[in-house]
Amino acid sequence: MPINNYESVIVINASLEDEQIDSTYQRVHEFITANGGEFQDVEKWGRKRLAYPIQKSKSGYYFVMRFTAPSDMISKLERTYRLDETIVRFLTVQLDKEAVAHYEVLRNKKEEEAEKSENEVAEKTESAES
Amino acid sequence: MKNKRVKRVIEEFIDYKDAKKLQKFVTDQGKIIPRRITGLSAKQHRELVRAIKRARQIAIMPFVSEAVK
Repeated sequence: MPINNYESVIVINASLEDEQIDSTYQRVHEFITANGGEFQDVEKWGRKRLAYPIQKSKSGYYFVMRFTAPSDMISKLERTYRLDETIVRFLTVQLDKEAVAHYEVLRNKKEEEAEKSENEVAEKTESAES
Repeated sequence: MKNKRVKRVIEEFIDYKDAKKLQKFVTDQGKIIPRRITGLSAKQHRELVRAIKRARQIAIMPFVSEAVK
């Protein structure tokens, strides 16, 4: 089975408690890793206003996940999305070469910044100590 | 005399999750602006249209803007 890069956006019913939203996300996460998926990165957008009402609610809780997975896993994944009543909307797209390169650059930038801020913190503590 | 068409290019990656940038390419009703007005290349316009349609699916962009309803 060919392994591809995918990006999956899920919108969870925002009227639920935070724990319920988290457990839904954990379920999805576990499903993906259990079925041969490997996570690249995850963006948590949190509660966002929807551009139009879905199931009469005006806001949703967004998660964006990027991962590599065998292609036959995606149909299974989407079936679990459909069965999950807390997920109100989802979109899974395959990432092409340009998109993969774009996100890689972004990720590297983020890592660099994280390292920088870590170094800064380390320097600060050092200078504070001295 | 017909005006010479102005060409335009989008430099950065066209991301369907970036509603703010896509907003520039829709009318205030929420319709996609045609290529003859934006001046994009055919390839870029195709990518843009795909991005806008995806953004609509996950409800970060409207099919019909609130002001019109």
